[in-house]
Amino acid sequence: MEKILVLTHLDETGSALSRASLEAVTAGLELATRLGAPLGIGFVGSDAAIANSLAATGARLLAVSGEAFAQPRYATDAAACEALCRAADATIVLVPAGARFSRVAAGVAYRLGGVVDTHITALGGTEKLEATRWFYRQRVEAVISRSARPWVIVLDAGTHAAYVGAPGNANVEQVAVELPATRTTVSGIRAPKQDEQTIRPDARMLFVAGAGWTKKQPDGQIHVDDAAKLILGFLRATNASLGSSKSLVDQGGEGQSVLPFLTHMNQIGQTGATPRHAKGLSTCCHGEEPHVVGWRFIGERRAISLDPNCGWTRGKADVVYVADAFAVIAKLNEMLSTKG
Amino acid sequence: MPSQLHIVVCAGIVPDPLQTLEPITTPSGPGLKNEMVLPAVLDPWAACALYEAAHLAAKNPGSKLWLVSLGPKAKLQQVMMTVAQKVAFELVPIDGPIGGFPDAHATAAAIASTIEAIPGVDRSKLLIFGGWESATRGACVTLQIVGERLGITEQFQGVDQIDMRDDGSFEVLERIEGGRHQVSVCSSAPAVLGWATGNLAEPRNNPQIGMANMRSMMPALQKAKAATLDTNGLSYVSVSLPKQQRTTRVVKDMTPDQIAAELVEWIGAE
Amino acid sequence: MSSEYDNSTAPCAETSPLTEGERQSMEVDIACIGFGPATGGFLTTLTQAWNENPGDPAFESTVAPGMPLQVLCYERADDLAAGVSGVVTQARGINASFPALNPSEIPMAASVTSERVLYLLDPIGASRRSGLLRFGDTLLRLCNRLLLKDHAFELPYTPAFLNKHGGLVLSIGQFNQWVASQLMASGLVQIWPGTPVSAPLREGEAVTGLRLADQGVDKFGCPADGYMPGMDVRAKLTVVGDGPMGQVGRALNQDKVKAQDWALGMKFVIELPEGDDAQALAPGTVWHTFGYPEPEIFGFMYVHPDRLVSVGIFVPSWMSDPSRTVYRYLQHYIQHPALWRVLKNGTLRSWGAKSLEESGRRAEPALTGDGFARIGEGSGSTNMLTGSGVDEAWTTGTQLGEAVLELLRAGKPFTQENLAATYETRRRASWVESGSRAAENARNGFHNGVVKGILGMAISGYTRGRVFVKSNPVSAGRQIRPFTADSPESRQLNKAAESSRAEGRTLHDALLTVRGWPEIDFDGRLLITQQDALLIGGKVQAMPGFADHVKFRNLQLCAACNEKTCVAMCSGQAITEGGDGLPSFEREKCVHCGGCLWNCAGENVEFGAGAGGLHSAEN
Repeated sequence: MEKILVLTHLDETGSALSRASLEAVTAGLELATRLGAPLGIGFVGSDAAIANSLAATGARLLAVSGEAFAQPRYATDAAACEALCRAADATIVLVPAGARFSRVAAGVAYRLGGVVDTHITALGGTEKLEATRWFYRQRVEAVISRSARPWVIVLDAGTHAAYVGAPGNANVEQVAVELPATRTTVSGIRAPKQDEQTIRPDARMLFVAGAGWTKKQPDGQIHVDDAAKLILGFLRATNASLGSSKSLVDQGGEGQSVLPFLTHMNQIGQTGATPRHAKGLSTCCHGEEPHVVGWRFIGERRAISLDPNCGWTRGKADVVYVADAFAVIAKLNEMLSTKG
Repeated sequence: MPSQLHIVVCAGIVPDPLQTLEPITTPSGPGLKNEMVLPAVLDPWAACALYEAAHLAAKNPGSKLWLVSLGPKAKLQQVMMTVAQKVAFELVPIDGPIGGFPDAHATAAAIASTIEAIPGVDRSKLLIFGGWESATRGACVTLQIVGERLGITEQFQGVDQIDMRDDGSFEVLERIEGGRHQVSVCSSAPAVLGWATGNLAEPRNNPQIGMANMRSMMPALQKAKAATLDTNGLSYVSVSLPKQQRTTRVVKDMTPDQIAAELVEWIGAE
Repeated sequence: MSSEYDNSTAPCAETSPLTEGERQSMEVDIACIGFGPATGGFLTTLTQAWNENPGDPAFESTVAPGMPLQVLCYERADDLAAGVSGVVTQARGINASFPALNPSEIPMAASVTSERVLYLLDPIGASRRSGLLRFGDTLLRLCNRLLLKDHAFELPYTPAFLNKHGGLVLSIGQFNQWVASQLMASGLVQIWPGTPVSAPLREGEAVTGLRLADQGVDKFGCPADGYMPGMDVRAKLTVVGDGPMGQVGRALNQDKVKAQDWALGMKFVIELPEGDDAQALAPGTVWHTFGYPEPEIFGFMYVHPDRLVSVGIFVPSWMSDPSRTVYRYLQHYIQHPALWRVLKNGTLRSWGAKSLEESGRRAEPALTGDGFARIGEGSGSTNMLTGSGVDEAWTTGTQLGEAVLELLRAGKPFTQENLAATYETRRRASWVESGSRAAENARNGFHNGVVKGILGMAISGYTRGRVFVKSNPVSAGRQIRPFTADSPESRQLNKAAESSRAEGRTLHDALLTVRGWPEIDFDGRLLITQQDALLIGGKVQAMPGFADHVKFRNLQLCAACNEKTCVAMCSGQAITEGGDGLPSFEREKCVHCGGCLWNCAGENVEFGAGAGGLHSAEN
């Protein structure tokens, strides 16, 4: 019989489990019910008290805690996760995606003599467990199965609802870990200033800026300053996250006019991110399927484009407005600011 | 005092991202239609790792740079004719299958044993570079297992920057959620760094670098060892193209004001 | 007049941070420019001899004693598979190089199995047909209703001069890749993609090598971040195989022979669904067509293995109309009922475009000089009667290969005299020469109209060139009929320009609509916008750090130009008309077809060395 373990960690506030962890808990509960398998939930962090928030799951709760495990770091996180898996004797390990556990999941699987698969978006199968994942940057979808155990499965964020349950007094088993030798010290987080931050994973909306913003406009001129003001104005008014096409972020390397607040981290699509947001508005984007994967996981999609037949929009967006994005966004910003 | 580094970059080859991809079933499992025909490029994130490695090696005289790549020999040769012009490195090819469907654990095993067999690699100077994900499997798995197999537990993923310090330690910036970076300091090599895009532009094609690389590259390709990859119990239930065609409402005759009004309403709706 | 594209002044002459002294240089034995079928043939001949006997003293390098011959080839495209042609060829020369050739070893290759020639009538009524042709069409419709199918009349047989039976259907991209992998595996040859050559190196009349294009420059070619002057590659022999648009070939030919007849070929690679009409079309099926979408436009369809089809058209310079909107014409062409019956359920995989030098032998430049020899299409080898160029180009390469081996073995230098005695002599005595002589006047008649052209071609074909129509063709640019200030064409062009500006569509597209061609009903699969085609099929690449390779010498001339054929003809929509009425160029859309070069009546376009272009291996 399978034994399921969900691995969890705190979010950046240090006072709650990360959203991805809570999503993995939901996935674990669902899978345990379906397979009739025992469920354990493991926790890695400075203080195991947070495990009380999982009391209502009824799962076996295990923790590796202590100051050494407060910060994300390969050596300590890998040792902690390995210890939890061994303590739970897990055959299936569900891991929330995210920088912290994605860094160690494969190493943990190797240490356990098991296997790992990442970017899993769904768990299914009737006779045997099957996992759905993407290949070729979200362009080919596959359903896979593994005979080897333990099987470490890293779940993509946004694929399950976050677990919500009443906190209680949980019985948490502390798992002892011999502190591994490490040569790495985590010294902190470097982030853009609050008003310069344009990547907001929790935003409801993704605003996609395409290369058209920096191309010649009907008057034969380039209006990068206007484009920058309009885009930032929209982001301020809606608190949307900003994504961009590869061609636009690459322009910086060619000495062309480029929007000053864009970096490669904004890039979505082929060699960029495929973020999940409820809504997406693309502007001045052009391209075909390889680029469009950038909004594969966007719920409602609208586009403003001068070309109604463009591959970015046709069959990919719910609505395309054939119009000049400069004019529309200017008016939109004006209306949003009045609306307050 | 700059450190002498031994940098091994692990980089596969992938179909040019702009190509049309269509999965098919082959006798050896899933594959892509016309996979050998499609133009290939060095895996984009791993290519960033290669350029960063070359930059780092140049800043630390006496350093050495190897590129370990697994793929069909003929296809590797084709890609290398472009890559070899960009930065100086020694190619360590492994003749193996193409594509993202072979098992990552087996790929990691083949790469790790190849790195162990590279003559002259000094573990105390060793940095293993690669892309944090590939453009084929996109798994973020291979590099970690290569590190584990080589007993290297200082690992970083989503790296955008490395700064070497005079004492041989180095600061690493890793991408984390929310467009931010985690800053870590590692006191010494060996370490594994899976790169995101980094900060360097693609180097120019330099014919002299190409000529110099080619002296060792062609013999290395001819001698490339063949690797057969175990499936490790991985089986594919289905492989398909997503069918997410939406019915697009094309709005042609609204003024910008009308469109803005409709969008305001849409943005505000739950 | 000033514009960022006006490069009549040199904006960076005094700011260059590097001196000539810092330009790298190296010495090789043989340097080749351009990797197409001609250079493939040349290098194959060399490496086959080397493989047979690597110890042959002839293969000892003179520039690196003790080493084998140093043979390098530089190619502008960023992949050796990034060719732009699908062809049907008799493969006479190719088969001679590879006697045991099995087409199944080369992706997309098939032996020719059947050929048809179709005259396509105009089912729409938008085609510019002369009264004579309309009369003929009417007669055909009245008298030969039984012989018409899908608005097409099939010639009862394929004229012998067009016949490719026994030959091959190829993707040049795949063929190049196949050849290149064998060449490089030999270890004798290095072929470097993504490396454009900007100029020949010369000492007096002699060519002493080549200069690679500068990198790290801005669009004007001025030094910018990461400036790296192009290396000088000094060579005992420079092999010029860079095609009719090649920078070096043209530089060596300045003010001498000029090709007058050109065509722009554009084609789609279409994948047909399983179980469709494709079943009826065996790999190796070849269709030649004429008559539609304009009477002057010839077309073709070749069937590759795995349900892939190449289908395309040639728009010739002697189609005097300035509105040469090839992409849109091609979309109308594939929708002709005769083709649409086969293609309608297909999916576009790739597309490509290329200029064809159609003067053939009549525009043959000097084939040899001190230190250089010219091979392939740029050497006037294309046969316009048989509509064949690849096999001829390949063969000129093999002839040079044999000549070079002879000179190496004899220890003779690569002087004009020695190259003429070995290479030219072989070429003159070969089927390439006799064929091109028979073909050189075959298309003269087209300068006097389509009907005369077709008759003239047939007469020339059946008499092996002994009888032909006389004509005095002018340069390709001057074959474009000018719009007079207030002519109907001029009004049409203005209307199209207005509509394109107002609707944000390209002039290219708007032109045909105002002339009565129906709008394309895009389906996002086979009929897609040209901008999408640039991304899905052609995959245009433009590596940063190179200068714009298309420049307009004098924008005042452009301002005064009514026709703006450069805009209409541009295969990649890389040249567009700005709000100021002037053409502007976007490098990242250019497929290097070279159409702008021969479509400018004022010869006002500079076409230089540039990297990249199409990046599709299926072409």
